[in-house]
Formats: sequence, structure tokens, C-alpha cells
Amino acid sequence: MGDTSVAEATATVATTPAATTRSGWWRTAKDMLSSYPYLLIAIFFFVGWQILPIYSSFRLSFTDDNFLDQNPPNFIGLQNYREVLGDQLFWQGIQRALIFTLVFLPGMIFIPMITAIFIDRVKNERVATLYRIILLIPAMIPSPLIFVLWLWMYNNYIGPINYILVDKLNLFTLATQPQWLQDPKLIFLSIAAMEWWWGLGYHTMFFLAGLATIPKDLPDAARVDGAGEWRMFWGVTVWRLLPILLVLMVVRFGSAMAVITEYLIMGGYDRTKNTYTWTVYMYDTAFNGGVQFRGYAAAIGWVGAIIMLAVVAVMFYIFRPRD
Amino acid sequence: MSTMQPAVPATSAPAAYSSVSALDEPRRGFNWKAAGRHLFLVIMCLWVILPLLWVVLLSFKTLQDGAHNWIWPRNGFIHPFLTHYDYVLNNPRKVGPIWTLFKNSVLVTMLTVVAATVMSVLAGYALVHLRTPGSRILTALLVASMFFPTQVTAIVGIFSIQRRLGLINQTWSLMLPYTALSVAISIFIMRGVFQTVPKDLIDSAKIDGANSLRTLGGIVLPLVRNGIVVVIIVNFVAAWGEYLLALTLMNDLDKRTLPVFLGSASGGVGGLLWPRMAALYIIAIIPALITFAVAQRWYMKGLQEGALKT
Repeated sequence: MGDTSVAEATATVATTPAATTRSGWWRTAKDMLSSYPYLLIAIFFFVGWQILPIYSSFRLSFTDDNFLDQNPPNFIGLQNYREVLGDQLFWQGIQRALIFTLVFLPGMIFIPMITAIFIDRVKNERVATLYRIILLIPAMIPSPLIFVLWLWMYNNYIGPINYILVDKLNLFTLATQPQWLQDPKLIFLSIAAMEWWWGLGYHTMFFLAGLATIPKDLPDAARVDGAGEWRMFWGVTVWRLLPILLVLMVVRFGSAMAVITEYLIMGGYDRTKNTYTWTVYMYDTAFNGGVQFRGYAAAIGWVGAIIMLAVVAVMFYIFRPRD
Repeated sequence: MSTMQPAVPATSAPAAYSSVSALDEPRRGFNWKAAGRHLFLVIMCLWVILPLLWVVLLSFKTLQDGAHNWIWPRNGFIHPFLTHYDYVLNNPRKVGPIWTLFKNSVLVTMLTVVAATVMSVLAGYALVHLRTPGSRILTALLVASMFFPTQVTAIVGIFSIQRRLGLINQTWSLMLPYTALSVAISIFIMRGVFQTVPKDLIDSAKIDGANSLRTLGGIVLPLVRNGIVVVIIVNFVAAWGEYLLALTLMNDLDKRTLPVFLGSASGGVGGLLWPRMAALYIIAIIPALITFAVAQRWYMKGLQEGALKT
């Protein structure tokens, strides 16, 4: 912006010397007047219900605010943060969220990637569109209803999964059937599989957008040069998809660490369950039960967010575009 | 032509098929590789679709069948066919205020979709096609906000702001945090689509004397309508399905939205025996699916045109 206004200012020097002194400022003010009205609505919502709540929870995290007593909260400095850092339940919650994220990430990236590569090779335009539409259906379903659906799927009494495993395939008996949402070893895998089901179509679209940038005659040229299918895949396709893969990995790392609704609906407030992560702990502290320690909950939220953002920053640094 | 170039059929054939990848050899005989790819895709599609068909089936089962896990009903389908749908819609005392909840969902979703669409079209246009001082800082702020877990860390703050404004338990007010949470994603979608509109077009409109608002409405808007459909659908699905804020900011059951009611309902007992709950489930997912079915063509185009660029 500065460059252009300077260039235009120098261009006008010859004709109107008086305008040069104030033209930079004048130009910026004029540009702001003509462009910022377009941004007003966005700024209203962004400041009012994004920046202000973040600031407000930051301020609360230094107080003893709770919902029960009506007294104004007292400033208690860093005490909440000291307590969070020594809180066994908090660190367990971070650890649980990390384990879920590690189970979740590979399936959320690679299943859609393979699906996209295969759809991209479908020659019949209509069949390819049909695949896309069917795979996108879960992306249109409201999130709590995704979780209700899979509560049904995993249910021991009416769920079709265990019906097939026990009654049809005889792989298990009623006593040994998998307890998808009760077994601590299985629960994260069960929830992750649900997330893969949910996100398959949407993430496939991202990879398809990347594949669409590969010129159609490139595979033919590679073939003429004698490159095999695998060399073509590793030499061209992977490099085109890598940036998308890395961005999705960082974005999905962030969303997986902050998962909360899934855990609330599928695991509730049971502290012994793996679904009791730092996010559920924060919500439990802030809105559940009698006293509702909002100040302490805000501190939990901030320490969790800072840990998460630190990892995101490291990932951005590792994945930064070189050359 | 044919006499001068006897090899025409041989050379023109590959040219005609140039859109077909040469990797899909062999062209003669059965293509096992392509069949394998289709098999994989069909399995993926079945994985996606079968659970939903199971719910549809459940909503037409008798109450006896609905209490067991066999997939195909052993006592036939319920008669009349829509019994469970009729029951959940017209039994407010046993099931819950379904019509009120449905209306709440429609209200909040409409307000959010309208606000987010208008907001993102104007902002995306300003960021791409107007000289906006500080546009880099604004963009960076939006990117940063996408990574900050606002919905978790700041929910305490959202609650205290809504309480100070007296908006707790006011259903419409959910559109305020909903729109705020979609500012970044909606603007990025529109930004990606606006970038596909050539700058020359806008400059020539300017030379013709059109002001920026008229340029947007008359020339640019028709070109980005597929992107607008993407924004509408993204916000529709997000607002229709938001759970945590609606649960936290609305105290009374009849102020909440339909998906929140279903998400926290304990099914299998009382008014919500499983087949009835399934009927309610179908009612709750139908609006978004119809929206998608109607707008699917523009949605797909919009995604390709650049909504997925960032």
C-alpha cells in the first residue's frame, strides 16, 4: 500500500507540488473511508463476540470469580495458574487429548487423500460427481446428531455393529463383545472412526482441489518418458498434495486437541473416562455443579490453549515452505 | 486430407482421448486397477450411507423390533407408515416441545446465515478488490483466530458478555456468537472466490464511473454466486448443528434448538423409544440435507472455484 501511494505521489509532483506533502496520509485516510464501511459488520461480530470474550476470559483467569456468590470477583494474581500447573486432573486431561489426537490424525488425513486420488482417476464425470455427493452427506448433518447416530451404532443392545459381529459373524459372544464406548482402550478409536466418517467427504474435497491443479497431460508425458505408476505417484502427485496435507494436519491437530462436544455427549462428566480431557474439565468446572469456578476454569482454558498453540507454532515452523 | 496423411486415424485417436490418462492402460480387456479403485470408493460410500439408512429403517420399525438389535424388522413395518413421525411431532407432553425447538433452530440458523453471508461478501470484496489499509494485519488476525480454541477457552467470556447484555435464554441471540465464530472461515471462502474475479473487470467498471458498491452488486456478485452458496451451506450446517453454546447460554429446554435437544435426550425410554427417536432424528437432519440437495450443483462449483484455496 505504501509503495503505490508513494509512486502516485511522486507522479503528481510535476503538476501539483502542493499536494505532495499530505498526499500519503490523505490517500490512506481516503482509502480507509471507502473500504472500511465494507468491513464494519465483520468487525462488529469479530470484536464483540471473538476478541472481547477472549479478553474477558483472560481477565477472569486472574480472579476467584464463581457463579454462585454474587460478590464481584477478586483479583488473585497468578494463583489460578499456579494451581492449574500443579493439577493432576488437568495434565491427565492434556495427555488424554494428545492420545486422541494421535489416534485421530492419520485416518483423517490419509483416508480422504486415497479417496481423492481414486476419485480423480474416475473417467466418467457423472460417476465421479455421484461419489462426491454421497461422501459429502455426513458433512451436512448437525454435529450432535453425528454423535447420536454413532451412540446407536456402538450400542450393545440395539447397535448394528455388535449385532453383525456377535449374531451374524459369531466372532464374539455377548460376554466378549467389544464395548466400543466403555472400554478405555477402544473409546478413542471409536470416536476417531466416527470423526473419519464425518470428515471423509469434506477433506476429500480439499485433496481433489489440489489434484485439479495437476495438468491432465502430465501423467501422459510421464508415461511416455517411461515413468511407472508408482514413480508418477511419488514424483508428481505427492508433491502437489503435500502442502494441503501439511495445512490439514496443523488445522486438524488444533481442532482435535479442542474437541469437547463429542466427549460430553459420548462420555459425560465421568472423570475416570478417557473422554474427560482438559476441555471437559474446563467446562465441568465452569458450568456444572453448584459453585462453578469460572476464574479457575478460564485459567484451565488458557493453559490448555497456550500448550496447543505452542505445538501448532512448532508444526508451522517445521512445515514452513523452504525455497 | 486423408490421402495426404494416411496415419490420421492412428494419430488423432490419442488426441481425442487426451483427457483420459494414459496410466489407465491396458485399454483392452478388463481393467483390474480401475475396478479395484471403484471397489474402494463403493466401500467408502457404503460406509457413509449405511448407518443413515439404518436410522431411516429404525424410524419405520414397530416398537417391539425397535428394542432389539436385529437389523431387518421381524414384525413388519409400523402401520400406518408415519406413526412415529406423527407421534414425536404431536406429543409435546411426552416427547418435548418439538415444534418450538424446530422454530428456534430455523430462527437462529436464518439469522446466522444472513448475517454471515452479507458480512463475508462485503469483507471479502474489500480485502481483495478495494485498497484497504491494514488488510494484511486483518488477514493475519483472521488466520490466528482460526487456530485459537475460542469456543472452549472463551466460552466463559461469551457467557459473561451475554449475561451483561441480558441475552441469556434469548434464543435469537445465539446468532451473535455463531456469526462471530464463522467470521474467519466465511471471509476466507469469499476471499478465495473474489480472487478469481479479474482485476481488469473491476478497474474498467471504475473507469465507467460505477462506484464500488454498484460494481459489487451489478458486476462482481453474479460471478461469485457459487461461492456464496458455499458460505450459506457452511453456515447453515454450523448454526443448525451447534451444541455447546446453545446448551450453555439457554437455560430452558424450550429455548434451545432441536439438535441440542436430541443430543442431550436420553433415548430408549418414555416418549422417546428408539423408533420414535429415529423419526425425530430424520426430522432434524432433513432441512440441511434438502438444502444440500437443492444447492449441490453450485456448491460443488463454488468449492472448485477457489473456496478451498486457503
